[in-house]
Amino acid sequence: MVHFTGLDYFWVIAYILLTLATGVLFYRLGKRSGADFFLAGRGLPWWLPATSNFATHTATDTPMWFSGFVYQKGLYGIWGSLFTGWCAISAWVSTRIFRRSLAGTQAEWQTLRFSGLPGELMRGWIAGWQVVFNMFIAGWVGIAMGNVCQWAFNWPIWWGLVLFSVVCCIYAMTSGYWGVIIADVQQGITMFLTCVIVSVWAVLAVGSPSAIVEKVRAMGYADMLDPFRTTGFVTGDYPLLWLITMIAVPFLGGFGMATHFDWFVEAQRIQSARTVKAAAYSMWWGAAAIIVRNSIWAIAVLAFFVLHPGMTRESEYQLAWFRMGFEYLPSGLVGFFFAGILAIHFSTVSGILNLGSMYATRDVYHHYINPGATEKQVIQVGRIMTVVVMLGSFFFGLMIGENVTKWLFFALWLMVAGTWLPNILQVIWWRFNGWAYLSAWIANLGTCWLVVWVLPAFGVLPELKDFEQFWLLMALVACVYIPVTFLTKPDDMERLVKVYVQTRPIGFWGPVRREAERRGLLAKVHEIELKAEQNSGKE
Amino acid sequence: MAWIKRSWTPHEADEWTKEDWIAIVLSPLSFIFITFGLAMSLFLLPAGFIMLIVGIVITAVMFWVIDPKLDVISEDYEHKQREYLEELEKIQRWEEDK
Repeated sequence: MVHFTGLDYFWVIAYILLTLATGVLFYRLGKRSGADFFLAGRGLPWWLPATSNFATHTATDTPMWFSGFVYQKGLYGIWGSLFTGWCAISAWVSTRIFRRSLAGTQAEWQTLRFSGLPGELMRGWIAGWQVVFNMFIAGWVGIAMGNVCQWAFNWPIWWGLVLFSVVCCIYAMTSGYWGVIIADVQQGITMFLTCVIVSVWAVLAVGSPSAIVEKVRAMGYADMLDPFRTTGFVTGDYPLLWLITMIAVPFLGGFGMATHFDWFVEAQRIQSARTVKAAAYSMWWGAAAIIVRNSIWAIAVLAFFVLHPGMTRESEYQLAWFRMGFEYLPSGLVGFFFAGILAIHFSTVSGILNLGSMYATRDVYHHYINPGATEKQVIQVGRIMTVVVMLGSFFFGLMIGENVTKWLFFALWLMVAGTWLPNILQVIWWRFNGWAYLSAWIANLGTCWLVVWVLPAFGVLPELKDFEQFWLLMALVACVYIPVTFLTKPDDMERLVKVYVQTRPIGFWGPVRREAERRGLLAKVHEIELKAEQNSGKE
Repeated sequence: MAWIKRSWTPHEADEWTKEDWIAIVLSPLSFIFITFGLAMSLFLLPAGFIMLIVGIVITAVMFWVIDPKLDVISEDYEHKQREYLEELEKIQRWEEDK
């Protein structure tokens, strides 16, 4: 149990008040319009969404599963956290395309990319799924906070979940995305400082960086310092196929949209950026800050491993980073550390509440229920939905309980495994239509539960490793959407030409491009015409 | 380095060119080298420092290649943005069109 001094309480109370003040300060900006409440008026410089990317994707559960990876596998475990690598290619490809589409949400993109009924069905599907999924994520992150507070203060697990989610809800509801993104800046700085401080104290607790290395080697775990080891293609603790999956899937996913569930959060930040370049830079630098953070965390976790070796229970070693902070920082700094944890927590939960509310408001209420809604009505519904998403998160949080890491791979990888390739195809291939995309989502939703939970439980399928499940799901779902693609008509050429000219997607868009050129919509055609005119003038 | 184009017209910048592909290839390499380079450097492992330096150089080259093109794309696109936003608003309020 952690004990606070007066200075510790000061840090925590001051930090909560500072965060709530953001809601008050940006109340007026948030209520100007729907675009302000959800996209901060689409005019942010690149560093604001970049900091927000970093802050939002540093959640309370993040140091837990990261600690789990590194405590078990050393530096090799960092590969498990490299899924943020999808931003590396996305910054230069799908971010540029999506920013040019100006779609406020990924659901809205569906009605731009796909025409007619399938486009509308996809929009409704993505919107509804995102409302529920954001409840799930807020619950998942919230219950991680419940776990930390239970360990640190002996609180009942639901206290940490409810108390701090309510704080987030207050400022997210009051000032919308303006409050969220401005708070993210101070939260991002606070949490980065916290990460550095904990790692410095962790190193000091062991002696020095070299002392950690020596002790790890002396304990017989020298291979924990080698991030590139393998034990065969699919066998052993470090299979090559796992490593290939960890490199190929995130990075190549950057060609598509929504190949990782973090995309939905980033999509909001992409559209809030002032220009295409600002959007691209915000993605790249936000992700770069995340990978730097991971490296800083790794030394703290390995220091914990040296100080507390032999832990076998996940619920114990996943608290490695938190325990380094609570147990090794001097009194007075422990309160600052907890304020850092609050920064980590608030930034994610507030962003997720605003995002879930955005899908419910813009894509369900404004698009389907009340298309003639005034800006005032849109903001009012946005505020109500922020509360609804928070209430839903309590249900999911209590369902997850202590099994935070167990849910990670299922939610992060397996629930999107079957749609990974379709999410790329929707960007790079003109012939991939709305029906194919819809069928992929439906097939994936059914098969992921079957492959991961149901069939192994009945002995129909052996227990597969997570990366094997990923490739299997991808193959199974492809058996559905590939025939659907060729058995249904292509999307309306009118719509395809429009989306091509506006977003200029990468990949296989030959017939659409030729049609756009035929209609004289591309610059190249204009240039040729201009030259032809000039030549005829000379003659 | 004449092979790398650093001066663009808006029409040229709209096309996907080798400069984009250079950024696409260098970007993941940059992430991998920085991640493991920094992690190993913090343990004072020599290989880490080498990887970190390689990562930083790759990053600098990548931005040197892609930045001028992004500047032009952004500037050109901002001129068209208002019209596209109006179109988007019509799709959002689809029921009014009926």
